[in-house]
Amino acid sequence: MAIKKDLSIEYLGVKCENPFFLSSSPVGSDYDMVAKCFEEGWGGVFYKTVGFWIPDECSPRFDQNNKEGLPWIGFKNMEMISDKPTEQNFETMRKLKRKYPDKIMVASIMGENQKEWGELAKLAEQAEADLIEGNFSCPQMTTCAMGSDVGTNPDLVELYSREVANATKIPFIAKMTPNITNMEIPAAAAITGGAMGISAINTIKSITNIDFENLTAMPVVDGKSSISGYSGAAVKPIALRFCAQMLQDPTLKDIHISGIGGIETWRDALEFLVIGCRNVQVTTAIMQYGYRIVEDMISGMSHFMDERGYNSLDDFIGLALPNIVPAEKIRRTFKVLPSVDDKKCIGCGRCYISCFDGAHQAFEWDEKKRRPILDKEKCVGCHLCLNVCPVQECITAGEVVWLEDKLKKFGDKKNDVIVKKHYE
Amino acid sequence: MSKVVKAKYTAEAVAGFTHRTAMEEAARCLLCLDAPCSEGCPAGTDPGKFIRSIRFRNAKGAAETIRENNILGGSCARVCPYDRLCEEFCSRTGIDKPIQIGKLQRYAIEQEKAYKMEILKAPDKKKNGKVACVGAGPASLACAAELAKEGYRVTIFEKHEKPGGVLTYGITPSRLPRAVVDHDIAQVKKLGVKFVLNTEVGKDVNLEDMDFDAIFVGVGLWGSRVPDIKGVELKGVYKAIDFLKEAAEKKKDFDPGKAVIVVGGGDVAIDCAVTAKLLGGGDVKIVYRRTLEEAPSNMDEWHYAMSLGIGVTTNMAPAELLGKGKNVEYAMFTGRDKKSELKLACDTVVFAIGQEPYNVDKIADVKLNEKGGIAAKATGKTNVAKIFAAGDIVNNGKTVVEAVAEGKEAAASIIKYLEKKGVK
Repeated sequence: MAIKKDLSIEYLGVKCENPFFLSSSPVGSDYDMVAKCFEEGWGGVFYKTVGFWIPDECSPRFDQNNKEGLPWIGFKNMEMISDKPTEQNFETMRKLKRKYPDKIMVASIMGENQKEWGELAKLAEQAEADLIEGNFSCPQMTTCAMGSDVGTNPDLVELYSREVANATKIPFIAKMTPNITNMEIPAAAAITGGAMGISAINTIKSITNIDFENLTAMPVVDGKSSISGYSGAAVKPIALRFCAQMLQDPTLKDIHISGIGGIETWRDALEFLVIGCRNVQVTTAIMQYGYRIVEDMISGMSHFMDERGYNSLDDFIGLALPNIVPAEKIRRTFKVLPSVDDKKCIGCGRCYISCFDGAHQAFEWDEKKRRPILDKEKCVGCHLCLNVCPVQECITAGEVVWLEDKLKKFGDKKNDVIVKKHYE
Repeated sequence: MSKVVKAKYTAEAVAGFTHRTAMEEAARCLLCLDAPCSEGCPAGTDPGKFIRSIRFRNAKGAAETIRENNILGGSCARVCPYDRLCEEFCSRTGIDKPIQIGKLQRYAIEQEKAYKMEILKAPDKKKNGKVACVGAGPASLACAAELAKEGYRVTIFEKHEKPGGVLTYGITPSRLPRAVVDHDIAQVKKLGVKFVLNTEVGKDVNLEDMDFDAIFVGVGLWGSRVPDIKGVELKGVYKAIDFLKEAAEKKKDFDPGKAVIVVGGGDVAIDCAVTAKLLGGGDVKIVYRRTLEEAPSNMDEWHYAMSLGIGVTTNMAPAELLGKGKNVEYAMFTGRDKKSELKLACDTVVFAIGQEPYNVDKIADVKLNEKGGIAAKATGKTNVAKIFAAGDIVNNGKTVVEAVAEGKEAAASIIKYLEKKGVK
């Protein structure tokens, strides 16, 4: 029997069958799409953002960039909020909620002014949405009264959040833009205004590729292009950073955060959970691979829990957060030398090249044997070699060498150093 | 039941890379410090360099690396026995399987053609030195190109209607499309090398009567060996070269027979069998007197032959051919073990048991080796100061890439000789 664990979680007072949700985007923009994603196992949907303002979209509107032939490292999107009639969208949400009462419907809304935010919140309540998300973050709106131009203005975020909170009792989630230095500021403003939760991150303003054929950016729309939102695997590190920083902020630490950014696998989702997110949202990977990816998220997460003996997501949510510390709190009194397994080594010399050209010239090269020889004095233990080695577990963390002068400087003692042992 | 490949005589056996698949393969390359693949090329091509160019989006640079080094880079990409040359040395083998260097070389040369690149250029100011190259096969083409690049005036004499030698008249087009050969030869022509076709040296012209400062002989082996057994004069019995040449000229109008036996174990034998099979030769078998392990052809070629449904019998040597009237009817074989016997009904027998020199003594008065070819040093020097020789006629039949390497070497010797003689 395939292992299946209880992945249910309480998120903003709502019981979710699992934490895997569609983010507000093209992947959840009508009845058939959302019905299909529910059938395939997604716990809920942040329905594509609804406003009274209806956008005019361009063609084409997507681009992706690749590395060494691997496509979709990152993805660029010029599409704005839903271009379907407002009423129809809320009606679709209601129908879906009635058909799938155990699945979670989050109405994503975006108003042009205070009044519209309040009205949209009321419509969401009438549509029987479980939760409401405020989209303060779309970076490619053709109006500056909406989207990330609002999200970077804490006063507007607070004002509109208050409007929604006053209009309805449904918990309100503010979706943040990463096109800002400190996300904690608008997030705190949203909470002050009455928001209960935060979603992060929306897409990053980007130019993915320059087209040499037409001398503009991609995608090429009648010979022109625009800066617009970047998502996918490439943005995950940035998303994790914003989420972790908010969760470590004293005023935000107990807020339920929904993590978004480059999630493709159960491992990606798990990363957001172990830093403290209680929900995760996905779009780009679905655009590339379809809703079916949730099957391996559910199965993979179940296997992880089984291996570790966890019975509930709450057993491990946030466990990694305390171990992410400011740079000045990092212990700097030792170096971990790399250990090269000569039997696994295939002699490509990549460690030698990278160490010489990019680090501390700590390897010598035995031309006859085609093997690196480590100079333990010159080596600073940076592990660049370990990161470029193409053979699994050929270079691993080896001997720990204490730095006597640093021990004295920091008053540190030679006690156990925790070292990562297994690399994939 | 095995699925057998059905192909046309002129259809390529292997599909090439696209930009995407070439990048995927280039990304597998470890870009080794010492690039051992580069040690494996007889012609001195540096795959480490051209694969790196492909990886860093510089396919044109890759094409330059190949073409500057090997005038027959396109043809070699198709016919080189990579598995025992560059790919044999590939470090990636230590992880899984070698990089497909030959296919990447093919891709790079295809870009040369696609982008209409003109990589090689003869100097504007020609030298006075005049050199004749006898034969328009790989060794001669390579020698002629090297000399032309240095500004010498080179004339190639070829007895056949078309240049290329074994590339044009020997190797089956499924392995080496004629367009690829023509493209390589076009590069030689662009260097200003003069081709005199349909002209057999020693019969139609006499080089001694002309004012060449040096002569290069690269005529290859155009005589086919036939075993000393009864029945070889019967109708339906072919020498490999005659068989391949007739097929290359008549293409689908050539009738190879319904029950074909090819005797031999080298690339030529496989080419004969493949040619027979692709031209409708019904039941085609290869009978070889030794084991596959001892066979000169590489395993990829055997696999390809078998994929077409060609059968292979080993350790059986031809003993006698029996005829019905003038036509061959049976081929008799005896085992290497001196006990086994084999009698096969057939209407065509092709002997591909090695080539031998043809009328070499009429070309020039030079010392011959024990095989009847030209006795020349690795430098291409013969016992006559102005006459140089290389390729199959000297080495008794090796690979195309080795003929190219030797032709280049001979060109270097010719240049030294001319400089010493004061020919400018």
